Amino acid sequence: MIEVIEFKKSFGTKQVHRGVTFEVKKGECLGLIGGSGTGKSVILRSLIGLEKPDSGKILIDKVDITKMNERELLEIRKKVAYAFQNGALFDSMTVFENLAYPLREHFHLSEKEIKGRVHDQLADFGLEGNEHVYPGNLSGGMQKRVGLVRAMMMSPQVILYDEPTAGLDPFNTKKIQDLILRLKSRGVTSILVTHDMPTANAVCDKMAMLSHGRIEAQGNMSELNQDGRGAIAKFISGEEF
Amino acid sequence: MNQVAIPLIVFLVETVNFIGGLGLLSHQVFRETFSGKIYWRLISEQIYQVGYRSLPLILITSGSIGMVMSLQFGLGLEKFGGKLYVPKLVAATFLREMGPMFTSLMLAARVGAGIASEIGSMVVTQQIDAIRALGTSPIKKIVIPRVIACLVVLPILATLSNIVGNFGGLIVGATELNLDPNFYYLKIMATASLEDYLSGFGKTFFFANFISLPACYFGLNVQNGAKEVGIATTKAVVVSSIMILIGDFFLSKVFWMIAKWV
Repeated sequence: MIEVIEFKKSFGTKQVHRGVTFEVKKGECLGLIGGSGTGKSVILRSLIGLEKPDSGKILIDKVDITKMNERELLEIRKKVAYAFQNGALFDSMTVFENLAYPLREHFHLSEKEIKGRVHDQLADFGLEGNEHVYPGNLSGGMQKRVGLVRAMMMSPQVILYDEPTAGLDPFNTKKIQDLILRLKSRGVTSILVTHDMPTANAVCDKMAMLSHGRIEAQGNMSELNQDGRGAIAKFISGEEF
Repeated sequence: MNQVAIPLIVFLVETVNFIGGLGLLSHQVFRETFSGKIYWRLISEQIYQVGYRSLPLILITSGSIGMVMSLQFGLGLEKFGGKLYVPKLVAATFLREMGPMFTSLMLAARVGAGIASEIGSMVVTQQIDAIRALGTSPIKKIVIPRVIACLVVLPILATLSNIVGNFGGLIVGATELNLDPNFYYLKIMATASLEDYLSGFGKTFFFANFISLPACYFGLNVQNGAKEVGIATTKAVVVSSIMILIGDFFLSKVFWMIAKWV
């Protein structure tokens, strides 16, 4: 479903990615972990064409998106959704309008149908009653949840989560985990960038660790849990690797 | 040496970047305006924001400038017995230059700053990325409505500015220069030509682009947080004002040549 091959990217003189390669199969959830500044979010942004790599390939359903222009990428963005770290909700729109936005843009639905779908999603994810609230009046956790719900309004095949639980209390973290698991159970492929290891353990099928511009270690959760001396184990325990 | 050379090189590089970036943005705006969906609701919202909400500012400044011009021309010409030429001078200057130019400068300050800071904040809070990530174009959703709104609104505001400016001149002419208001009005109507009006009116379409495009460009190119939003806002106002003032000279010349040719 998603293949990243020899991904290289520099910012000025600093080479952040020196050839990142990984693969995510349909329906899988990959946890992408690594220290701050290792370029995890850049990879995520590149998977939707918000950044362009200097070299390398990004294949989505075997189609290389790195060569696509902005107009061609619009089609990719209909099937690959991005859940921003802070929700990135449109602050001049209410929660309802934020969620209705992708429906109004990409589907020929009546206002009644849009209303119905938005209300269903809000109820489904425990956000009902907030339709007319502006994002500025929502808590950080609520903003993230609304951002996640907005990302999945178009029923995407892939969701990219950028630190969905960062800065949240355990209650909201659990809610986000449940939300990701529910989407996963519907067959949605996902990549989760996170520092939150309990969440990664709860939702990911496999993990890849980015370090020194490359994937230092990757594997499924049971393999990694057994390898107590590996890079991921050291990262989790705060050791130098 | 380096103290002079380095800032000069930085300035030149930034200028070339700006010209290239503005060219690309203009091309994208032109291409996307004539392809796909047009967001009429967003355009009308921007017309309200840019036009209706700028109206008090434009009317007050135009009225004041008209009054000042009338007073200064009157006091100056009185010494030579030329007070009767005040209506003609005020009218022609307002229609050709002051109306469109001051309206544009006021709009650059109010609207240009607003556009740059709003878009810059949207970049910082990843809302522009979100527009792209949701399969839509920020050019279509954000830039085009603002450019079209300026193109629609500026000629109308400049026309209103002409009317209010001349009215301000008439009030001062009647109260301070002891000119008969009826005479003042008839003199304006007799001397101000359609050519005067069109020469100023035509410029507003260029000035609208000089305001909206740099403001959008600087807003979209904000990268590093709140401080840069402020810098982008200042740059937008300064660059727009310079473009209007320099452009005014060349446009005046072009319109003068066209008038001669026609």
